[in-house]
Amino acid sequence: MSVLQDLLMGFSVALSPGNLLYAFLGSAFGTLIGVLPGIGPAAGTALLIPLTARLPPTGAIIMLTAIFYGTQYGGTITSILLNVPGEAASAITCIDGHKMALKGRAGAALSIAAIGSFIGGLFATIALVFLAGPLTKVALEFGPVEFFALMVLGISLLMGLAGKSMVKALMMGILGLILAMVGMDPVRGAPRFTFGRMELMDGLNFVPVIMGLFGLADILENAEESLSSTVSAKVGSLMPSKQEIKDSVGPIARGSVLGTVLGLIPGMTGSMASFLSYSTEKKASKHPEKFGQGAIEGVAGPETANNAHANGALIPLFTLGIPASPTVAVLMGAFLMNGLIPGPFLFREQPELVWGVIASFFVGNVILLVLNLPLVGVWVKMLKIPYSILFAVILAFMVIGAYGAESSIFDVFIMLLFGILGYALKKFDFPLAPMILTLILGPTMERSLRRSMEMSQGDFSILFASPLAATLLVISLVVLVSSALKVFPGTGKGKSDSGSVGK
Amino acid sequence: MILSSLRMRVTVLAAACMLLAAVSAGAQAFPAKNKAITLIVGFSAGGSSDAGARILASGMEKVLGAKVEVLNKPGASGQIGYTMLSQAKPNGYTIGLASLPGIMVSIMDADRKAAYKKDSFQPIGLQVLDAGVLAVKADSPYQSIKDLIEDAKARPRKITVSTTGLQTGDHFSILQLQKLTGAEFAIVHFDGAGTAMTSLLGKKIDAYVGNVGDVLSQLKSGDIRILGVMDTQESPFMPGVKTFESQGISLLGGSWRGYLAPAGTPKAIVDKLSAAMKTALETEEVKSSMAKLGLQIRYMNAEEYTKIWDEYGTVVKELIPLSKNK
Repeated sequence: MSVLQDLLMGFSVALSPGNLLYAFLGSAFGTLIGVLPGIGPAAGTALLIPLTARLPPTGAIIMLTAIFYGTQYGGTITSILLNVPGEAASAITCIDGHKMALKGRAGAALSIAAIGSFIGGLFATIALVFLAGPLTKVALEFGPVEFFALMVLGISLLMGLAGKSMVKALMMGILGLILAMVGMDPVRGAPRFTFGRMELMDGLNFVPVIMGLFGLADILENAEESLSSTVSAKVGSLMPSKQEIKDSVGPIARGSVLGTVLGLIPGMTGSMASFLSYSTEKKASKHPEKFGQGAIEGVAGPETANNAHANGALIPLFTLGIPASPTVAVLMGAFLMNGLIPGPFLFREQPELVWGVIASFFVGNVILLVLNLPLVGVWVKMLKIPYSILFAVILAFMVIGAYGAESSIFDVFIMLLFGILGYALKKFDFPLAPMILTLILGPTMERSLRRSMEMSQGDFSILFASPLAATLLVISLVVLVSSALKVFPGTGKGKSDSGSVGK
Repeated sequence: MILSSLRMRVTVLAAACMLLAAVSAGAQAFPAKNKAITLIVGFSAGGSSDAGARILASGMEKVLGAKVEVLNKPGASGQIGYTMLSQAKPNGYTIGLASLPGIMVSIMDADRKAAYKKDSFQPIGLQVLDAGVLAVKADSPYQSIKDLIEDAKARPRKITVSTTGLQTGDHFSILQLQKLTGAEFAIVHFDGAGTAMTSLLGKKIDAYVGNVGDVLSQLKSGDIRILGVMDTQESPFMPGVKTFESQGISLLGGSWRGYLAPAGTPKAIVDKLSAAMKTALETEEVKSSMAKLGLQIRYMNAEEYTKIWDEYGTVVKELIPLSKNK
């Protein structure tokens, strides 16, 4: 009961007019950062920290956290409408979200994304309130070995992302892994595939790569067709159909849990959460062939997961004082600047602040929902701009975004290069999702494997010594075998729907 | 002929006078009104290097009466920013943050192919020593550095110790500790303090090496025990925690964050910047902002800072081959 009392006290803090205003401003700024491609949540939050310098600590933290989870809402908008991910965690939404927009269901996609984000954010916050203690213990179980096993499971889901051709999907998966190798070797410190460019020493910068692959490639493809604005007429209703709502229930529920759990584990990013949700949904779906053609599940799941992740990632910060992602690290800096050291004793020493901030997550998520649903109409109007003008504007924003993330012209060229590559891959019908998945998971998988080897001094048995890791590895094996049976029905007692994937 | 040579002489003389005037005026009038000083930070906005630089920049602005703008050029562990700094005009209007031993690693490690050398820079002054610490979980059997070292000697390469990254200050501290004591650890490289600390708390690793600023939270909550601070003096943020030196091991480690100008910057200007840094670091505002972030002010002027540069140059050069696991 005392938790509820604390929470009630928190609400009295969060609902004071001043703090309400800060939550609103934070949500609005966050959405804006999310909409602008290139400026990710970490950089955006860092840039806006000075804005909060003169606020009282509680107000400053409420506003900054609202900016942080607000970005997850905004990122969706451009993914769906323009096929340009506003930030990395929404990249996967491009695949089905934009297809829905082309079919005139942009309004429904945006509504479902906003609702899913709301539920995901709420779920993670409730978890923070009631389960912070026990959940934190789960996070501590994840060392390098368990991390490696989790990444293997993630990559084994890759087969589920294959489109018409499994061979092409595997090729793209390998290409992603190769691209993930670029940069300094994490153990020997030797540069790999950097071609003497120090810009490549930290590896490929993920944001310009996905902006090119998704956004630019799409613009190029559209530009070759006649530039009539046929799409703009079909904005569609904001109300999702009954079927769409029914199809979204499962993905939203799974996305909430998945995102929250992954948020707990330091090192997992919002993009990993949304990608894993996408592959899970495709695997769970009765009609996986609809994915990539505008399946609402492909929007609902990932968008829920990245918001649940954003709020879930605050759990280790509040309970352990550990920043689980780069953006949360920026947030932690803001805590420190306000003289607050995050950790369990903060609950004891400053209960009003902590519970006020937690209560503000509920308030902020409601504000974002209220802010976003009516604004969907405004965003959709963007589509009415003639393509010839719209493309030029998007391109300009993309160049600014690619440059702005690290003020580096090199990243602009990376974006252009991957735009051309993405265009070529599309022309030859290669699926992009497996490549992005391995590009995201690859570095973490490699690092955790090599870290495990450093721990055991080269003894592979360490991978099976941990029950958690062993279980995850066995599940991956099951996933791999079952996918293989589906794809190659001749090798086993193929299921009836095997042809749809293996064709 | 005579006339023309005379004219030439006059011209040369005039030019020389003007140059002289310009040089002395440059130092006198530095920084010129309406001219901003750019401070290159080779790390992304929001990190602790960036935060410290921004606090100093706003402090120096007040002392110098000129704008000091922070420009983030992250990438390649600072190398992109260092390269840009080394190629800037040596007129005092471009200075940069440098983190030791990181910058020395980029110079000494041939694989990094740095476009600059040790003498491409002119040290201005040191701002922060974020001292290294060796930590274990609160319920660990190790009560002192001696316990840990003895066990590591008894079971070589079995005790796991984390770093926050390959070739970071932490990594070099462990290598130095191995060299000083003869103990051998299994060194595990994480990326960043967060993942390494999680592994320590989850008992996946035996010991953790990081900076004071990264462990305050867990120390305060009682989850970890600090076996030693790698400094000559106790950290003001963790009073009562013994230094390595007081436990008989003379190990200095951590991140030394100071500021550099491109080589060739006139001495008068360097001195002026160095003095402005000192004044700024003595103001209450800067002191309290830095204390909140757990950043320990350790001012050194250009000469003292240069000495640290040279010392690290030797240490890093020696340890580079070891750091590459070859």
